[in-house]
Amino acid sequence: MEPDPLTSTFAALADPTRRAILARLSSGEASVTELAAPFEMSLPAISKHLKVLERAGLITRGRDAQWRPCRLEPRPLKGVADWLEHYRVFWEQSLDRLEGYLSELQGKEKPRGRKH
Amino acid sequence: MAVSTDTRELVVTRVVDAPRRLVFKTWTQPEHIARWWGPQGFTTIHCEMDVRVGGAYRFGMRSPQGTERWKRGVYREIVEPERIVFTFAWENPGTDVPHNELLTTVTFDEEGDGTRLTLRQTPFASAALRDSHNAGWTSTFERLAEYLVTTGDRSNAASGRITR
Repeated sequence: MEPDPLTSTFAALADPTRRAILARLSSGEASVTELAAPFEMSLPAISKHLKVLERAGLITRGRDAQWRPCRLEPRPLKGVADWLEHYRVFWEQSLDRLEGYLSELQGKEKPRGRKH
Repeated sequence: MAVSTDTRELVVTRVVDAPRRLVFKTWTQPEHIARWWGPQGFTTIHCEMDVRVGGAYRFGMRSPQGTERWKRGVYREIVEPERIVFTFAWENPGTDVPHNELLTTVTFDEEGDGTRLTLRQTPFASAALRDSHNAGWTSTFERLAEYLVTTGDRSNAASGRITR
């Protein structure tokens, strides 16, 4: 089965180094060398992470062969933000119902709360 | 990299006015789950659960528009009355929901006469375990969400706010 776009995004985001790279790019474009600086990691290792991010559409690279700045692409992240919001609503509404149900339950369990 | 390590994934908390043992029961007994599970207006149409480590559950619910949604998963941890950890996957995901398995952790803490519920959910069960000591999901998303807002793209900015 062809993975859906959100699954590809999550697969790319499921690594702390790649998330840190994206966080860095959120404050502006950067070269591979700049991106590698905070990590104890070789340039080829960082390049590998960048390829994963690029394939997932999370970043784009400049065309200049010498200076190929990486840039964050917000579109797939919108899917992630929507996903988070979707589940936040799901759980918040379920917990609202749970709260109501719990008071109903306790009302029933207290003898003085009974009508007869 | 200034990414905090104390937050990750989606976190929802709620303090309810009920003793912890009762709150725990509402998460572990089908007759209770059926009464509150799912968003407003949804009806539980099926609920089977084998509440033990490695045990499976399957819930079905119907939306107000009549669409059925089924979810299933496996319990990973049951610590009465403190904690439940389970996987979560939709059987019939739409285009808006990924196919992967989620990992949900619910903790129950006594707070006064009530109970504090804390629900954490990560998009990948395996990544969640691996990343437990690493930079968090939420903090990364917060920064990325800020970025979405500052790009000025209205369609992105609308959903850029993911934190409360």
